[in-house]
Amino acid sequence: MKNTIKIERARHNLTQQDLADKVAVSRQTINSIEAGKYVPSTVLALKIAKVFELPVEAVFQLEDLDFE
Amino acid sequence: MNNRSFLTVPLLPTAWKKFAYLFFPLPILLVIGLAFSNPDTDPNEAAQIIYGFWAIGFGILNLTREKVEDEMIQSFRLQAFQTGFFWLIWGLGALMLINYLRFDRLTSEMFTAYLVLFLLNLYIYAAFQVQVYQSKKEN
Repeated sequence: MKNTIKIERARHNLTQQDLADKVAVSRQTINSIEAGKYVPSTVLALKIAKVFELPVEAVFQLEDLDFE
Repeated sequence: MNNRSFLTVPLLPTAWKKFAYLFFPLPILLVIGLAFSNPDTDPNEAAQIIYGFWAIGFGILNLTREKVEDEMIQSFRLQAFQTGFFWLIWGLGALMLINYLRFDRLTSEMFTAYLVLFLLNLYIYAAFQVQVYQSKKEN
C-alpha cells in the first residue's frame, strides 16, 4: 500500500515527530509507514487522514501488489 | 476502541529491563562460585542453572514495555512470539535429529524445561529486535 504522508506533511509543514505526537505513536512508526515498511491499522490510518483533513483513500492507496 | 479482556497481557514498566539484565551475568558468577565450593558439581547442572536464569532474563525482557508502546511495536511483539515459537519447533527438531544421528536416540537429558524456556525466550527476543532494527534502518 502506498501513501502520500510525506507530501501531506510537507504541505502542512509538519515534521515526522509533529505528526507522531498528533496521532500518539512514535516517530519511528511514522517513518516506517512513510517508507512502506509498516501498514497501519484502520484506526491509525483514519487518524492520520484526519490530521491532514482528507479522506483516508486520499492518503493511502492500494497497489497491484496488494491484490496478489 | 477498547478491547480489554482476560486475554490482555499486562506488560512490565520499562525500568524492569535493567533488572532483567542482572539475570545474564548472575548465573555465571553462581556457577563459578559453585565450582570453587564444590569441584564435583555436575556440568549439566551448571548448564541448567544458566539456562534457567537466562530464560527468566529474556522472559522479563519479552514482557517489558518499550518506551513508546504503539501499534507497530505491538505488531512486532505478536510477530516475535509467533516467529519465536516457529524457530523453537525447528530448533528442537534439529537438536533431536543431531542427537539421533550421534547417539541413536531422539531424546536426551539435555532437553529440559529450562533449555526449552531459554530457547523460546531467546528466539522471541531475537525476532523482536530484528524487527525493531529493520524499522530503524534508513529507507
